[in-house]
Amino acid sequence: MISAIKRFFNTFLLIDLLKGMAVTGRHLFARKITIQYPDERTPQSPRFRGLHAQRRYANGEERCIACKLCEAVCPAMAITIESAQRADGSRRTTRYDIDLTKCIFCGFCEEACPVDAIVETRIFEYHGERRVDLYYTKAMLLAVGDRHEAQIAADRAADAKYR
Amino acid sequence: MPLITIDDQQIEVAAGSSVMDAARVAGIYIPHFCYHKKLSIAASCRMCLVEVEKAPKPLPACATPVTDGMIVRSHSTKAVEAQKGVMEFLLINHPLDCPICDQGGECQLQDIAVGYGGGASRYAEAKRVVRDKDLGPLIATDMTRCIHCSRCVRFGQEIAGIMELGMPGRGEHTEVMPFLEHHVSSELSGNVIDLCPVGALTSRPFRFSARSWELARRKGVSPHDGLGSNLALQVKDNRVLRVTPVENEAINECWLADRDRFSYQALDSDERLTRPMVKDGGRWVEVDWLKAMAFAAGALKVIRDTHGAEAIGFIASPRQTVEELYLFQKLARALGCESIDSRIGQADFSGRRAGVEWLGMALADLNDLDRVLLVGSTVRKEQPLIAQRLRQAVKKGAQMNVVHCADDDLLCRVANKLIARPSELVGALAQVAKAVGAKIDGLDTVVVSEAAQAMAASLKSGEKKAVLLGAVAQQLPAASELHALADAIAKATGATLGFLVAAANGVGGGVVGCRPGQGGANAAAMFAAPKKAYVVLGAEPELDAADSAAAHRALAGAGLVIALSPFKTASADYGQVMLPVAAYAESAGSYVNMEGRLQSWRAAVPPRGDARPAWKVLRVLGNQFGLTGFDQDSAEQVLAEALPDGEATVRAKLNNEIADLTLAHLSAAAGIERLGDTPIYQTDAYSRRAPALQATADGQTGHAALACGALIARLGLSEGKPVKVRQNDAEAVFNLLRDDRLPDNVVRLASGLAAAVHLGPRFGPISLEKM
Amino acid sequence: MDYLQQLLGPAWLPIWTLAKIIIIVLPLLIAVAYLTYAERKIIGYMQVRIGPNRVGFFGYRLIGLGQPIADAVKLMTKEIVLPTGADKPLFLLAPVLAIGPALAAWAVVPFTEDWVLANIDASLLYIMAITSMGVYGVIVAGWASNSKYAFLGAMRSAAQIVSYEIAMGFALVGVLMAAQSLNMVDIVNAQRGGFWQWYWLPLFPLFLVYLISGVAETNRAPFDVAEGESEIVAGFHLDYSGMAFAVFFLAEYANMILVSALTSIMFLGGWLSPFPFLPDGFFWIAAKMSFVLFLFLWFRATFPRYRYDQIMRLGWKVFIPVTLIWILVIGGFMQTPLGYLFH
Repeated sequence: MISAIKRFFNTFLLIDLLKGMAVTGRHLFARKITIQYPDERTPQSPRFRGLHAQRRYANGEERCIACKLCEAVCPAMAITIESAQRADGSRRTTRYDIDLTKCIFCGFCEEACPVDAIVETRIFEYHGERRVDLYYTKAMLLAVGDRHEAQIAADRAADAKYR
Repeated sequence: MPLITIDDQQIEVAAGSSVMDAARVAGIYIPHFCYHKKLSIAASCRMCLVEVEKAPKPLPACATPVTDGMIVRSHSTKAVEAQKGVMEFLLINHPLDCPICDQGGECQLQDIAVGYGGGASRYAEAKRVVRDKDLGPLIATDMTRCIHCSRCVRFGQEIAGIMELGMPGRGEHTEVMPFLEHHVSSELSGNVIDLCPVGALTSRPFRFSARSWELARRKGVSPHDGLGSNLALQVKDNRVLRVTPVENEAINECWLADRDRFSYQALDSDERLTRPMVKDGGRWVEVDWLKAMAFAAGALKVIRDTHGAEAIGFIASPRQTVEELYLFQKLARALGCESIDSRIGQADFSGRRAGVEWLGMALADLNDLDRVLLVGSTVRKEQPLIAQRLRQAVKKGAQMNVVHCADDDLLCRVANKLIARPSELVGALAQVAKAVGAKIDGLDTVVVSEAAQAMAASLKSGEKKAVLLGAVAQQLPAASELHALADAIAKATGATLGFLVAAANGVGGGVVGCRPGQGGANAAAMFAAPKKAYVVLGAEPELDAADSAAAHRALAGAGLVIALSPFKTASADYGQVMLPVAAYAESAGSYVNMEGRLQSWRAAVPPRGDARPAWKVLRVLGNQFGLTGFDQDSAEQVLAEALPDGEATVRAKLNNEIADLTLAHLSAAAGIERLGDTPIYQTDAYSRRAPALQATADGQTGHAALACGALIARLGLSEGKPVKVRQNDAEAVFNLLRDDRLPDNVVRLASGLAAAVHLGPRFGPISLEKM
Repeated sequence: MDYLQQLLGPAWLPIWTLAKIIIIVLPLLIAVAYLTYAERKIIGYMQVRIGPNRVGFFGYRLIGLGQPIADAVKLMTKEIVLPTGADKPLFLLAPVLAIGPALAAWAVVPFTEDWVLANIDASLLYIMAITSMGVYGVIVAGWASNSKYAFLGAMRSAAQIVSYEIAMGFALVGVLMAAQSLNMVDIVNAQRGGFWQWYWLPLFPLFLVYLISGVAETNRAPFDVAEGESEIVAGFHLDYSGMAFAVFFLAEYANMILVSALTSIMFLGGWLSPFPFLPDGFFWIAAKMSFVLFLFLWFRATFPRYRYDQIMRLGWKVFIPVTLIWILVIGGFMQTPLGYLFH
């Protein structure tokens, strides 16, 4: 009986609604958490998964050995590899393409790679004006790797003890 | 039969079988590397250790014979501990290079390491490294990966018949290596790629080009020898990247000859014909199909109208499918022409044949033969897997009797042999016939030699017997007489007469009627008396024909040659129309193999370029002439029309008997003569265009003239030097090499090679001159 | 002014009226523009965001004050898409039907005792009549678009507006009973005497009903089932784009301001000062309207959308009985000595 009366007044005096408005009212004055990109940026983890890159060894030799594990593990089927024997007898890719319009940036390729050849960098601000601009070929991936090798290597080193 | 218990499962198995066999029957998997059902037991890998009750230590399942009441546990703690231990030992020296290993993804060691191996290695010391061996152009090696299961070694000894690989050294110094740094030259060598449980032996042409999980496996049938070996064509991006066997106990068991395995390279040959071409004013012009068909039909019509239908010759390769050969002969007959033949390599058509020549028995029966008379055949270079079956028979005690023109090594024990010159071969076989008391006229003058007597004695004993006629026996100018003699011998001894059919669809061509009809010319006659026009399906007549010179002359002199071929053959020189047709993996079709088995398959890859399946081309060609009965929609429809009752239709037409023949070649010709058999990798358009096969030792044979030392000395020639070879009016220069396996007065000069085209028939008088 | 009147003669009256209309409509439109800005900013703040803060003037960001202007320019330059299946004359007429009543109602709204375009006796009746017209724009838009979502939206909207109009009307009946006048200037004057004399207190249930019905009438959250973007995409204005859409948009916000003005006048004492020691004036009505508008935005930031059957239940089974009962209560009280409480 008492609870029924209580409920009646709660309903008619809109108590619950006022409680709700109190919540939003409080947040009106809360500190805002918006990050004003591009003026401000969030901190990035060394594990950040952005644009892909192909790495080289210090002597300039490409790391990729065409094992095709990344191609096999890729859930979006974004990677296309063709391989052949190079003149020196080593196993190398003749084609290594990543279709960034298919890629879901899950990082499996990076994890599958036995030689740390394919990596995902911290770069996320890249764009293309045609779809084909986002179809990265081996040369483009190697170029990304060459440009950012210092950062890539530092990130791998920072994460190494957890892997 | 002993009753044993494996993993709580009671089964009864044949006495003498091993625990591994019993487990296989029970459907229990025991991990193993060195065990292989077709090879002897080595028990060298120790991976199959199982716990046997009352045995103090785990025992290898593959080498432990079952006894009654035995209790085996393959997954008990003790067994698994043992297997884990073995796995750890095996991985000590195995490199961790799976990512760059071609076996990765289909590797037994990889699979079993996942199931039985530890997650990490305790071994921190240096691993051993083994120098890679050069095993020739077919097999790539990474010997560091070898786990010494010795399968490849045992395969050489037991199946290939030649121990080219051995395992010298002990302990850590054990290495699999070819003796004396020779390449592996066996015609079955490719099988070690399948046998190797790790990536030590891999396919060289395939090397690094794809991963096993990327490849779609599509069934196919080998287009080479008459076995019809079952293939798994492994396809990626519409290209055949490699070929592996499909197990079929009745045909190829689990093996594949190198020719079947590596000839897929020809599908990607630069010589592929991809667009219809028409010769216009002496120059080849690429045209579309409509134009090419209209041109071909129009030109044929002109020839028929001005010279009659018999002025056209229809020549087909016996490696075309049943469907294609059926439509080919149907088209010819509808045009009124009876000059049709697919027996392109045959020289002698005399006598009356009762039906289509075939093996006379099932292929699997070859293993059980007790007595074999092999006439005119180097079988291991013709049908390597038949040689393998005969080798198994000989191992079980069969006596092999050989009548041949060269004392070639068959890699099995030969009981008796008669080696004679090609022109003497009829006489030699006649001696055997007389010795066994065969009922055939004309043997009165024959003098029986001691070897023939021994052979006759051998053939008269034993239960299951066969007389097998090989390629040389079928191609000789006196082939029909050999046929008649063999028939008589078989009848006198109770043996089966069999033809080792050289081509994949040699039987099928005869069954569907790809043979000259009343008034028509056979393959040899078509070239001996040239026609005005030729329609050539798949063949390269100047290489395949019995008389290559005559074939080339006839084709070059003809006003019109229409070539339907997957390749730009020599018809580019003499032809007027080239129509690109699908190669063997690119079209649905069927073959009838030498035991009369009909095997159909579907296309594994689309045809290259504008090429179309040949049966479609022939059908449209029929439409161009406005003929009825050329409206089939699928290869299945054509097959149903060609063989209404399938294999029953085939069987009704198979018969090896021959009649109406007199022996006219009992006495040998004088002088030096040519032995022009076709080398193993020159038999057809595909193997000729497979670079890996051509790079092997067998691919190199035939590029030189061979003679025995006595003949070389008598003629005053020197071995290893170029020599001028003269046959009829033609001459050519070849390197002269010595081969003492040849009888005197014989020069072995291979046919099927471009260099020998102008010389003339495969067999016949020849002369050698110093340069 | 007299001079101008003499100069223009009979033309004076229409010109002067037109000038007064512009004086009302132009600030109204600017107010609409900045109401959208306020909405985005306030809701943003309540969601711990910042809201628009980039578009400013002359290279200065000015906390995004240029945003409504940019939006207006954008809407004006966008293409007006005419769907092929649409009834073209009706399709183009619908926005006019929507904006017309929203602006016309302002004719009788008093901003102070003197600042009123037309101080007519039955201004309350006029307001109720003219605001009821707004629903035609919605129904015609939904019909003319020839699209199922638009039609569903229009149906919902029509049912909802009609339902709440009854409750709203009864709430105003209470007001006119208390004020004993239909003239809005008189209604405001009847509340003279400070904060406690305003009708929000004696007519508290009617005040609440009117406020909530006002939210429902303007199709604002949490009663925005007519738009229901998650179920019927955007409702009646689904097929409108560019300026045609902008007109609907204007109408909605003009209606919001109108409802806030009426609430201020009926229940919050209009331009009257809450404290006797402070002077009355336009400032007070502006402040009260701003407060009510803020409530509108606050509601939207707080409450999730009602289910359609809940809206109808609330309208028919709660608000209409509450208003009826309260009218009886008022009537009863007015016959007792306590009746002065309502004057």
